[in-house]
Amino acid sequence: MIPGIGVLTQNTLWCFSQMKGAIETGVTEADIISTVEFNHTGELLATGDKGGRVVIFQREQESKNQVHRRGEYNVYSTFQSHEPEFDYLKSLEIEEKINKIRWLPQQNAAYFLLSTNDKTVKLWKVSERDKRPEGYNLKDEEGRLRDPATITTLRVPVLRPMDLMVEATPRRVFANAHTYHINSISVNSDYETYMSADDLRINLWNFEITNQSFNIVDIKPANMEELTEVITAAEFHPHHCNTFVYSSSKGTIRLCDMRASALCDRHTKFFEEPEDPSNRSFFSEIISSISDVKFSHSGRYIMTRDYLTVKVWDLNMENRPIETYQVHDYLRSKLCSLYENDCIFDKFECVWNGSDSVIMTGSYNNFFRMFDRNTKRDVTLEASRENSKPRAILKPRKVCVGGKRRKDEISVDSLDFSKKILHTAWHPSENIIAVAATNNLYIFQDKVN
Amino acid sequence: MEFKLEAHRIVSISLGKIYNSRVQRGGIKLHKNLLVSLVLRSARQVYLSDPCPGLYLAGPSGTPMALPQLPGEPAAGPAAGWGEPAPPAVPAAWQETQPHPERSAVPDAQRAVDAEPAAPGIDAGDAVLGGQAAAGPAWRLMEGPREAAAGGPGNPAGASEVFPEVARAASHHCGRPPGGEDQPGALGATPRGDCCCAKEEAPAPPPIGPRKRGAAGAGGVGGPAGCPAPSSTPLKKPRRDLEEPSSGAAAEEEEEMETGNVANLISIFGSSFSGLLRKSPGGGREEADGEENGPEAAEPGQICCDKPVLRDMNPWSTAIVAF
Repeated sequence: MIPGIGVLTQNTLWCFSQMKGAIETGVTEADIISTVEFNHTGELLATGDKGGRVVIFQREQESKNQVHRRGEYNVYSTFQSHEPEFDYLKSLEIEEKINKIRWLPQQNAAYFLLSTNDKTVKLWKVSERDKRPEGYNLKDEEGRLRDPATITTLRVPVLRPMDLMVEATPRRVFANAHTYHINSISVNSDYETYMSADDLRINLWNFEITNQSFNIVDIKPANMEELTEVITAAEFHPHHCNTFVYSSSKGTIRLCDMRASALCDRHTKFFEEPEDPSNRSFFSEIISSISDVKFSHSGRYIMTRDYLTVKVWDLNMENRPIETYQVHDYLRSKLCSLYENDCIFDKFECVWNGSDSVIMTGSYNNFFRMFDRNTKRDVTLEASRENSKPRAILKPRKVCVGGKRRKDEISVDSLDFSKKILHTAWHPSENIIAVAATNNLYIFQDKVN
Repeated sequence: MEFKLEAHRIVSISLGKIYNSRVQRGGIKLHKNLLVSLVLRSARQVYLSDPCPGLYLAGPSGTPMALPQLPGEPAAGPAAGWGEPAPPAVPAAWQETQPHPERSAVPDAQRAVDAEPAAPGIDAGDAVLGGQAAAGPAWRLMEGPREAAAGGPGNPAGASEVFPEVARAASHHCGRPPGGEDQPGALGATPRGDCCCAKEEAPAPPPIGPRKRGAAGAGGVGGPAGCPAPSSTPLKKPRRDLEEPSSGAAAEEEEEMETGNVANLISIFGSSFSGLLRKSPGGGREEADGEENGPEAAEPGQICCDKPVLRDMNPWSTAIVAF
């Protein structure tokens, strides 16, 4: 029980709500969830997986009969967004894994989202069809053409209800603009443009134009041997359509203003915290690499995630973050092992809650952490099948760092590093969170009193 | 001393990662490989800067960093070394003056160490350090030899072929324009390293008795003919060579040899790869520069077309792949 966390109530208890995904012990690689995103109203929740599929869940309307059960998320649409491709010229396979999904704000009855793999961004339209025309003159009910000689009457087709069908159609394909692997996409607040970022370049697109994009950031050095940093994440400001930020593998964030010049290689602001020399190790550079950057909903702050910490920066202060939260500092002494098993390269994401008062990020052993910025309290929760009874309250977990291990604590060496929570999402206005644990999606809600 | 061992281990692990990244699905991941190269650099710095009299690294002068180049060593220090665990990736193709292009730095260094304790390994490394410029552009040349490597038959070079590809590469090496563009699959998937200009790295000392460490056949230190035709096999062997030591060699002498190899490798690899030591392009890099400039000029703002893309990726991926 973590008093103080949450927007709506003083005492927020997190409860299990739903788990999506197979339960069998073996995990197919293609089923591993690679991105999770709520849409702007929170009505829809999209997940992408390594197999290139997108699954969209829709929250059902709350019924008066079941007051205690808030709307559940049920599958709304499933489609194959990307397929594996082969670049023949370079003899490279292009993975179909969905790296990111971003929703467009809803402007009509249909829903639009962007999904991207390493090389190609696609705009998908998800729409409902619940009526179909019947009574054609020239076609029979099965759609076969009728012999004109047999047509003796004329009638107007009418629309009749049918079972709801949700169809997803690719409306735009934005391809061939990235040499390196795309790591981020971000929809601009003007709703007309969006950007896609790869390791060395960021391109600006117009939704309507697929055969051209503007390159707005290019950090590729003339001589690749002088390469020292890459772009790791990028995002547009939530309100200012001319502003965006991008993070680098060196732990720095650059804020750019597109009004300043066409090519935003020169940043407007540069956020960097001086390194603590006492923490220097072989792996200092790796753990300082930023894996995710997110603007707060207010647009006033940015949050960055590196391997061991989450930091909150004020846009008006560039020389250091205003807050730093330790996610799993007990791993600092294990960096060499984590380097060996590649865990040190895991890219964790971070999210804000709707009011920017709480931030959340994932860890290992299916743990995820929440930090309340106001009360400075934090909690570690676990996404596990054992805690999966409906409305079961999640018990805070604790990692024991040494010495005597208390009951209920788990020691660092017992952590399961194959169970990592890289992707999480927070409903834009309510205390509902979606946590991706390998191939399962957990949905937790705060307890309804 | 512990730092050195730790550094050694980290270097081995890092090299293994880079090697593996070549065959990973989706192509080489630039970010991860960059981070691994930074770790390599850090480990190398620790490795080379920690004066430890017990290890050969100290050399006659006692200062690891100040070892003079051995006479007869190729000036540009064939960064071949750094290609090592993988197929001979020799950056400085033209440097190949040695009659015996060693297949891998590891065995070479081994030999060197055998012949002259202390100096050769690090010297080769230092030579590489000194010859950054040569090493750099040399990487790009690997694209050329790759064709040769891909071709596969016979070993024209004769000498210590070890790898047919290497030998062939050697013959193609010098001056061959980095013609990687027309090489399909230059990036990532195929072991371009194979083609590498021989890694001769060739320190002056004559080929010593082969280091039999686990090298299944092709290990080829000094090894004639050991190299199997398929390019993939040699890849495995040098790696095994390298990794075996890291798994805890017992004898002190063995330890020395291993570290020598590793030092050689990482000095070559670490500096050139991240470009951290080299400040300005050396003389031998015009070709590569020229190659780079073309696509570069075309690049910004344009939708990448395959050719420039391929060219651009080549040096970097070559560097990685060569390994």
